[in-house]
This record gives sequence, structure tokens and C-alpha cells, in this order.
Amino acid sequence: MLAAGVPCADATDITLEIRDGHGNPVPDAVVFAEPVGGTTPAAKPYTRALIDQVNKQFVPRVSIVQAGTSVYFPNSDNIRHSIYSFSPAKVFTTKLYSGREAAPITFNHAGLVVLGCNIHDGMVAWVYIVGTPWFGKSGVDGNGTLKGLPAGEYKITAAAPALDLPPAVLDLRVDDNVPMRTSISLGATP
Amino acid sequence: MMRIQRLQTRIVIFFVALLVLVQVLAFTFVNAAISRNAQTKVEEELNVGQRVFARQLEQNAEKLKLSARVLAADFAFREAIATHDTGTIASVLANHGARIGADAMVFADLSGTVISDTLRPQAEARPFEYPALIKANKNGASASMEVLDGRAFQLVAVPVLAPLPIGWVIMGFAVDDGLARDLRQLTELEVSFALDAPAGWRVLASTLSVDEQKALLGAMPARSGQVTRLVMDIANVDHQALVIPLDDNDDARIVAVLHRSLDGALAAFERLRFTLIVLAGFSLVLSIVGSVAVARNITRPLETLASAAARIEHGDYIEPVNVQRADEIGVLASSLNHMRGGIADREKRILKLAYEDPLTDLANRSRFNNELEQAIAQCNLGGIRLTILMMDLDRFKYVNDTLGHGVGDHVLREVSVRLQDTVIGAECIARLGGDEFAILVKHAGDSDLTDTARQIIAALEMPILYEGQPLDVGTSIGIAHFPEHGHDAQTLVRNADIAMYAAKRNKTGFAVYDPHYDTSQQEHLSLLGELRRAVDRNELRLHYQPKVSLHSAHVSAVEALIRWEHPTRGLVPPVQFIPFAEHTGYIKLLTRWVIREAVRQCGAWLREGLTLQVSVNISARDLMNRDLPEHVAELLAEYDVTPGLLCLEITESGFMEDPLHAQKVLDRLAELGVKLSIDDYGTGYSSLSYIMKLPVQELKIDQSFISRMAADAEISTIVRSTIDLGHNLGLQVVAEGVEDAAVWNMLRSLGCDDAQGFFMSRPLEPAALASWIRANHGTFDCPKAEPAIDRVLGAQAR
Repeated sequence: MLAAGVPCADATDITLEIRDGHGNPVPDAVVFAEPVGGTTPAAKPYTRALIDQVNKQFVPRVSIVQAGTSVYFPNSDNIRHSIYSFSPAKVFTTKLYSGREAAPITFNHAGLVVLGCNIHDGMVAWVYIVGTPWFGKSGVDGNGTLKGLPAGEYKITAAAPALDLPPAVLDLRVDDNVPMRTSISLGATP
Repeated sequence: MMRIQRLQTRIVIFFVALLVLVQVLAFTFVNAAISRNAQTKVEEELNVGQRVFARQLEQNAEKLKLSARVLAADFAFREAIATHDTGTIASVLANHGARIGADAMVFADLSGTVISDTLRPQAEARPFEYPALIKANKNGASASMEVLDGRAFQLVAVPVLAPLPIGWVIMGFAVDDGLARDLRQLTELEVSFALDAPAGWRVLASTLSVDEQKALLGAMPARSGQVTRLVMDIANVDHQALVIPLDDNDDARIVAVLHRSLDGALAAFERLRFTLIVLAGFSLVLSIVGSVAVARNITRPLETLASAAARIEHGDYIEPVNVQRADEIGVLASSLNHMRGGIADREKRILKLAYEDPLTDLANRSRFNNELEQAIAQCNLGGIRLTILMMDLDRFKYVNDTLGHGVGDHVLREVSVRLQDTVIGAECIARLGGDEFAILVKHAGDSDLTDTARQIIAALEMPILYEGQPLDVGTSIGIAHFPEHGHDAQTLVRNADIAMYAAKRNKTGFAVYDPHYDTSQQEHLSLLGELRRAVDRNELRLHYQPKVSLHSAHVSAVEALIRWEHPTRGLVPPVQFIPFAEHTGYIKLLTRWVIREAVRQCGAWLREGLTLQVSVNISARDLMNRDLPEHVAELLAEYDVTPGLLCLEITESGFMEDPLHAQKVLDRLAELGVKLSIDDYGTGYSSLSYIMKLPVQELKIDQSFISRMAADAEISTIVRSTIDLGHNLGLQVVAEGVEDAAVWNMLRSLGCDDAQGFFMSRPLEPAALASWIRANHGTFDCPKAEPAIDRVLGAQAR
């Protein structure tokens, strides 16, 4: 997944090892950094994201986007889907559609949106909407990367919405050109 | 207790009691089995009902869960819920609840807080009453029977997914009478739902009527939380019941009560029981009828046998026992028949022995008396006359004793044959005993039966032949008529007897009873009494008639003759009391007295210088007395008299009664030296050959010959030959009844030894005799004159 980076020579990448309470890596966890006291740049216009529907599953199941991002819902199945959300951050419903008929949905407010398909009860997807451009998602190894962070103080939050684990928050100082690697535990007592 | 005597009743009671016992036992067992079966059946029905009930509730819940899930998945519903607008939520709950027929709809958020409630729309937000229902299964659905707002509901909770759970919809389906009825249809049991409210059990829903529900509540057990079995009394009917706790929460306040009336279950068995009772009653009647029939089959012939035995007991041997059977009773009947025949034969023999004379086959005395009494009884009714003829045989004893009993029996048999031939139409001919016969004749006429008596006498006059020898037996017959001569058998027989003795005495052959006989009999009886006293009172005298030798006219002997100087009757002649004394046996005493007196007188005369031989008459009975010789010897010794001075005179009949015995006594007397003489010779039938054997020295020719010999040449010849005979036998011959000189002279010429009679002297008192002898100097001078006077005198004396 590509994160929208800021082309800045003085940026630093931070790798976060996201673990559960037992120290196991947590895949599909989201992580994002919010500068403490600094300004947060808004999302660029026309920032897009994509959540496909393959074999009656949302792909990816978990997404993280900056507020203002428009998410496209292409339908790769040969059956129709009707995507809805009753989440307060974004309530919407699409009509039954196939292919690329659905209009993109722009998520303007931070929050967690749970997506379902009106036709297929088993389909569920989580869209984490954040107000910062520095965010990432863990792979199967449980590691997520925040790229291009300018030096400064950050509050780093990790969450695994599909796993019903409580989010974890970490304060971190980022220095220029010093890549960092740190771990964060979900469900651990802070 | 009363003993049951009748066999029939006993058999019937036994069989019926047995059957009743068997039936009662059978009925008891069957009844118990029926009750057990009914109980088991009801229990099984309850068990089945319980399973069906549980399954049905489960299915209901599943169905409701499914419906609820479908409803909860409805997008519009979810959309409405997701609006978080309570008004919308309430309306969608009501709307969608109505769609699936839910009676209550509640929405609670994920924390269990009630957001909306169709039952209580105005209520404030609060935690849902049954969090366990929600927590039980987060993602699925759960169901439970619970109470909401005082009503029972089957609650189903399902999560609302969007697509993740955002809250819970709880749908309630009222538990009502309709549900109970549906369940009853499936389970065939009465179904009630009850709640254990703080105020006590309350019925939530039921198939029962209101009254029955009240009864049910009264019978509810304490809450136990487990399935409870019990028997409930509902409206006076026993119900087998199951109490099943329903709500899944541990409080178990709601229970279902499944029950079924035992009566309903037992109805089929009641029909069976009724059939059994009817069958029992029917077989009881059959068994009574059957056992009565069996008992009668046994007792009927027994009764017949009993009555047959009773007939035999009463002497009816004619009717046979009429029981024809092959069994034991038949054998008994046949035995009884044989017994009847045997008894009849034996009785006939016994009767023959009892009522027949075995010698002659004539009736015996008993039979004769019976016949006579019966005949009298019959004659008392009608005007028929009866006559009895009583007879005995003369000289029978002589025949019997001299010729033997065989001859006697022959004579009796022959007499009986002649009687039967002679007396035709007699009611009864009987031999009463010895030589005594009696004949009973029933006749209508006024005949006195003397002809019959004559015929009998004629029939017996013909000699009876025994081995070619003729035997001569005569008879005397006494006749008595009913009713003239007595009204009863005893009197008639006695009077016939009296008549018979009269005939014998008078030698008339027969005599019809005359009351005069009876009075003479009475006279005799009184005479008897007086005679007994005569000796003591010294009323008896002996007179002596001299015996004169025809050769020497010397008086050397006298005959003592008894005289009775009765104080009132005067001089009673011997003929009036001697035969009578002979009959009664008193003669023995009389003879003793006479002998004693004669011997004493003889002794007295001796001392006076008068030697006279004294003759004394003794009777046949005296010869029966063995002591007579001893007695005579004692008297002779006592008065110092030589035996030769005593002469005992015996009549022919005296020997003939019992010749053997008489001979012995006579021999003894002869040994003593006493002289013996045969008196009244010629009147009897004694054979000379017999007399020759007797130790007698003298023969006295009866006066009936002597008195007639002067006029009758034939008798004179008899006297002559008798005198010759006596002399030839070495006997002294004496003639009695010499009444005149002609006879005296005739006897002298015939060579007779002694004479006695009025011609010489009548009997004289002892003193007169002594004077007479002294006056004549011991001899008798035959006077030539006045024979006629003597004859007159003699007649007077006799």
C-alpha cells in the first residue's frame, strides 16, 4: 500500500512492530502519527483509495485513509453488491451495482466506518479515517511503517479494528534522518 | 353357626363359594392389572406428551429465532435502528414486530440498555431484565420463556448487525390459551402455564376452564426447578400431572403443567371391568344352575334311595328301588334292592316262625290272637258274628307218653289235616300248643256252629292209623260267640276254654259257652278260698264205709271218704270240690290231710282194739308227687300203724296220665308195704297188660257195673269175667255200690271177695262206725228183708 508521502529531504521513516498482548504480530492493524503541537497538513484534493470486492469479500478488509479521501469501490465479482455504512463517521448506501458503476465515497470525518454489503451479510470491511497524512498498516509480519515524518513530537496510535483489540497510543520524538524502529503492543496495559 | 344339613345345599354352596372366590381373585388381579396398566398408560402418555411438548416448544423457539433473525437482517429495519432516532426505532419495532406476529419488541444496545420497548413505550431507559438472554449468544439468537410486564412470553433475542452487532432486538411471543390449545392438540394432554408469583401460583395460560384452573392452582406443588410428577385432584377427578419448569433462568418461575385425567384413561378399562363383572355374574348364575343340577343329580337318587329305605323300614318290600344308573348310586340302589329281597325273605321266615306252628303248619297262638283281634275289630264295624271253637284231645298225653313223641306228632299232624278238611271257610285254624287247637269262624248267620263241632268230633272218632295200628283220640270242644260271649279276644278265648272244660266234665263232646259255667267257675273260685281255710278251721271230716268180706261177712276194712261240713252251705259233697281241687292242684294238700287223718284214725282204732284196714283215694296228681312215699312212711311211723293197714286207691286215669312216673311212686309205696288198689275199674281204658305190671293187690269194680248187673245179663257177664280176671292176676276183687241182697248174693256166687255199699252200711263217722262194728260183732249179717228201703237211703246219700 502506498502512503501519501511528503517529498521532504529531512523526513524520517519509522517502523512499528505491532504486537498483541502475547507479543504476537498483529496483521491488518492500522497505525498513524499525529504531531503534538505542530500543524497537520490536510489531505491533498482528489486523494483516492480503493476497496475492491472479490469473491464476496472486501479487499482489503481494513483500510486507513486521511479525511477527505474518496474511496472507490470497484466490483470485481460477477455479482452485484450494495455497500452500506451505518457508522456515524460516514453513513451511506450504494445501489446495487457491478463493475465500476458505484460513485466514489468521500470520507470527510475522522472515525471508524464499518462497511457491509446489503446483499451478503458475511461481507465486512473497516475504514479508519484519520486527520493526518502519516499512517500505515501492518502486514502479515505485524510491522507497519510511517514514512516521511518530519522531526518533531508525535502521538502514535495503533488499532486493529477487525480484531476488536483496544487501540494503543505511543508518544514519540522523531529526529531528522534517524529512522526509527519501535514496537507497540495492542491490548497491553499502558 | 347353623349347620347346613342338606347335601344339595352344601354342594351348591361349595361350588358357588369356590367360583365366587376364583372370580373375586381373578377380578382383583385383573382389576389391579387394569389400574396398573391405566396408570402406566397415563404415565406413558404424559412422557410422550412431555417429549412432544418440549420438542414443540423448542421448534417454536427455533422458528421464532429464525423469524427474528430474518427480521433483524432486514436492511430497512437495520437502517431504521441505525438512525438512533427513538421514534423511528419504536415505530420500526412495532411495524416489523407485527410482521412476524411478535407480541412484544424490545431494542437494547450493545450494553444491554433498553432503547425502545413496544410493551412499555413510556418507560425510561433501563437495563434489560434478562441480560443472560442477550449474553448467552452474542452472535446468534437465544430464546427463553420469561415474564414481561406480568405476562409470559417466549422471548427471542437476536443481534442487529450493521454488519457488526449494534444492539439487540428481543421479540416476545405471548404464551396464551391459543398456544396451550395448540400444544394440547399435539400432546393430547391438558396444558397449563403457571407462574409462581409472589402472591402464589397464577395461571398464565391454560386449556382448562376457569373453575378447573382454580382447582389446578390449589393442587400445585411447591416450586422445585425440576420436572415433578404428581397426581392432582382437579374437580374431583384424579389427574396424572407433570410440572415442567420452563424459563432458562434459574429462578424457574414459569412452569408448564401437563396433565391428563385418569378417569379418561381408565374409561376403556372401565368398560373392560364392566364386561368382566357381567361375565362374572353370568358365570355365577351358570355355576349356580350347574351346581344345582349336579347336586340334584346326586341328591335326587339319594332321596329316592332314602325313601326306598324308609319303605323297607316300614315293611313295604313290594316296590323295588327305582334308580337306574351305572354309577356308584346305581350300585347302591341295586344293593338296596337285593337287601330288600333278603329282608323280605327273612321276614317271611321269621313271621313263619313267629306265627306258625312248625309241626302242623297251622297258625300258632300269637297268630290266632292277632287274627281274632283283627276279626273283632272288623266285626265291630259290621253285623258279622264270630265264633271260636276251642278243643283239646282226650288221652293225647297217654299216647305221647306211652308210644313216644313221634307218634304224638303224627297224631297232631293228622288232627290238623282232618280239621282243615272238615272246617271249610274258617278264618283261622290254630294249634295253640300241646294238644290244644282253636278255630276262628266268621259267619253271617245265626248258626251256633254246633254242626261244625259235631263234624269235628265225627272226623276225630275215626281212629288215626300209625304204622297200621289204630289210635283212638277223642276231643272236647268249647264254643264261644262274638259278641254274645265276650267283646274282646281274651274273654272269648277264656269263655271258649270254660265251655271246653264244661264239655269235658259233662262228657258231652262239645258245649256252647253258658254264663252259668262262668258262675260255677266263680263259685269254684270262692270255694277254693274257703277250701284253703277248711283245713285250718277243721271243717273237713272223714267218714268211713265198711268193706265186708263176701266169704266170711267179716268187716276187716273201711274206705275213708271226705266230707266238708261247710259252716253256711252245710254238707258239701265231694263231687263239688274234688274235681275242682284236682284241677287247681289243691288236691295235694287235701290228700295229705286225708292220709294223715286216716292213718291217725287207724292208729286210734288200733289202740281201741279195733284193727281196720283204711283205704284212702288218691288222685293222679298225687302220683306225680315223688315225696308221697316218704310222707306216707313218716305218717305210719308217727301214728305207729303197720303199713299193711293202709290201702291207697287209685283210679285208672291216675295211672294213665303219666304211667312211668306213677309206676315209680307205686313201686316205692309197695316197698313200704302199703296196700294198693285200682279204683273204679272198668270206666277207663287201661289195658290189663299194663295193670299187670303195677304192684297192686286189689281191684275195685266200678259201681256203674254193680248197680246194673242184677238187671243186665251182659253186665253181669262183664262183672263175672272181671272177677275171674282179677283172681287170675292174683288180685283181691272188691265190688262197690252193693245196694241189695240180690247183688250181694250174686257177687257171692261169682266169688267176688269183698263188697261195699249202702246195703251193708253208708259211710259213717268214726265213732258211729266203731259202734256199728261192735254192735255187729265185727261181721255183717245179711238181712233178708227191706231191700227197697236201703235203695231209697242209698239214693239219698248219693
